[in-house]
Amino acid sequence: MAPTKKTKKSTESINNRLALVMKSGKYTLGYKTVLRSLRSNKGKLVIIANNCPPLRKSEIEYYAMLAKVGVHHFNGNNVDLGTACGKYFRVCCLSISDPGDSDIIKSIPGDQ
Amino acid sequence: MVKFLKPGKVVIVLNGRFAGRKAVIVRSFDEGTRDRPYGHCLVAGIAKYPKKVIRKDSAKKTAKKSRVKAFLKLVNYTHIMPTRYTLDVDLKDVVTIDSLQSRDKKITASKETKERFQDRFKSGKNRWFFTKLRF
Repeated sequence: MAPTKKTKKSTESINNRLALVMKSGKYTLGYKTVLRSLRSNKGKLVIIANNCPPLRKSEIEYYAMLAKVGVHHFNGNNVDLGTACGKYFRVCCLSISDPGDSDIIKSIPGDQ
Repeated sequence: MVKFLKPGKVVIVLNGRFAGRKAVIVRSFDEGTRDRPYGHCLVAGIAKYPKKVIRKDSAKKTAKKSRVKAFLKLVNYTHIMPTRYTLDVDLKDVVTIDSLQSRDKKITASKETKERFQDRFKSGKNRWFFTKLRF
């Protein structure tokens, strides 16, 4: 059985890619704006923290399924995701509308 | 990034008097208008679902149980939940923005949608749309 926790190397690479998106790309943080970006087809990738409430998580996944947008379940809670974004607040879900220089959209939805 | 809030999409109204009712998008305004500067859509939905018809029912009773009451409404996108279902019933000629301007125009438009919904229900297609959402 493959280990459920991702290896340290790939979590690092997600964090690196997120940092590059924060610096060079366009993104929105938070549940309301994530749904808004999915409705208006601006979002290209959605990242959800692991302690997101299950109803909210399934709602975002359903919207993403309708919009054919990839969803990545971040290996960390909302505190970790906020830190990965370089913010001093908690981030439960975020949506990337323009990756900038990062290759996060091409590489990450493969492993979900 | 596929646009999914298109005419014909079945949605569930979440807020307001018709919360929990299923509706179909007739026309969508993604950028909003001057009066409503947010994304919204014109929906035609079911206010009163048709009752369950059993084999024992007489023709008169079946006709009474298959009645549908429709509603027309302009709803904000944040107050609807889209589903994966679609309902291809042509309501564009009947339900227009100016049919919501005055009360009697609204009543005639909703009577016409009621007829179309009832025809679709009697044909047996789109059964999910005409069943009440249990919550």
